[in-house]
Amino acid sequence: MSQADLHPVSMEKVGTSGLRIIWSDGLSHEISWNLLRAKCPCASCREEKETPPNPLRVLKASELIPLKPVRFSPVGHYAYKIDWSDGHATGIYSLKFLREICVT
Amino acid sequence: MSNQPTNLPKIELPGIKSVLAVASGKGGVGKSTVSANLAMALSMQGAAVGLLDADIYGPSIPLMFGVNEIIDQANTPFPLVRHGIKLMSMGFLVPPEKAVIWRGPMIHRALTQFLTQIPWGELDYLVIDLPPGTGDAQLTLTQTVPLTAALVVTTPQEVSLIDARKGLQMFEEVRVPVLGILENMSFFTGDDGKRYEPFGSGGGKKLASQVKVPFLGQIPIDPNLAQSGDNGLPLTSSHPDSIAGKAFYELAIKIKGDLSSFQQPVKLPTLNL
Repeated sequence: MSQADLHPVSMEKVGTSGLRIIWSDGLSHEISWNLLRAKCPCASCREEKETPPNPLRVLKASELIPLKPVRFSPVGHYAYKIDWSDGHATGIYSLKFLREICVT
Repeated sequence: MSNQPTNLPKIELPGIKSVLAVASGKGGVGKSTVSANLAMALSMQGAAVGLLDADIYGPSIPLMFGVNEIIDQANTPFPLVRHGIKLMSMGFLVPPEKAVIWRGPMIHRALTQFLTQIPWGELDYLVIDLPPGTGDAQLTLTQTVPLTAALVVTTPQEVSLIDARKGLQMFEEVRVPVLGILENMSFFTGDDGKRYEPFGSGGGKKLASQVKVPFLGQIPIDPNLAQSGDNGLPLTSSHPDSIAGKAFYELAIKIKGDLSSFQQPVKLPTLNL
């Protein structure tokens, strides 16, 4: 099966901390919400990663509650969009990117 | 601040059997001409056809279908119907001399409205004439619309093939099936009866072979193509016996056949939160 054909066949929550993806080639992998959020591929997160963190930044109220997705929906045939409980909602996670997270 | 739309509603088009995107990568290769004539050919073969002009910045479909002024929506409902084809374009709303100077979220909103708020009704085919490139319009459509397949238009020369490759890669990334590559402006037949290839030859076929997609054929350079485009009646209808007219007609037959055996993309599983 080529990389272009690989796709999730099942997605389910694992407790409150993450999800399990089962792929079309049989690979099964669990990913934590924290890791997925940290790896958000949106432009603003990528830019944020390139700048030093501000230790004096005041946290938002939404960042003080345990992180979880509030929405997790397919985008076309190729990705998922995740809306997070901290208010962040611009990340689109392609299947290729999710697969990379699973195998590395 | 991200200018990416945060809302990506899934657009259902239940009355439309197939949604075909006509793309290129490069501007000026003839996407709109191909879109208009393909839509015309499908309609001439008995299909119910719609044509959505997704080029918000430079809409060409109004001119190609003889619509030369903006439409008063109070008196004329959308979609407009010309030559039996249902049409929608930004060119019906904005005068041609006025530039649309919009960022991505506005493009996204306009296209979403064209798809969801225009009563397209029951169609066999909705042809979408994409703008050049791999940007906002393409992202909106691939993220929200159930695209059946895409057709990539190129001209023979390398400068066009370079961008066509990018367009093809985009469809691979977003997992939209590609019907194939159509080579436009491939040749013309001189008054001496000889075939001339001013833009080179073989580029489209070679690219199709390299990326392993079907080669859908060649469209010749025909002065009637440009003239009919400017006169508001696609050449497939105004000059059906011309080489180009026959080529578009055959293209439509081929596409109908290919689509009937197309495997639909896999539906992604949802996550129950």
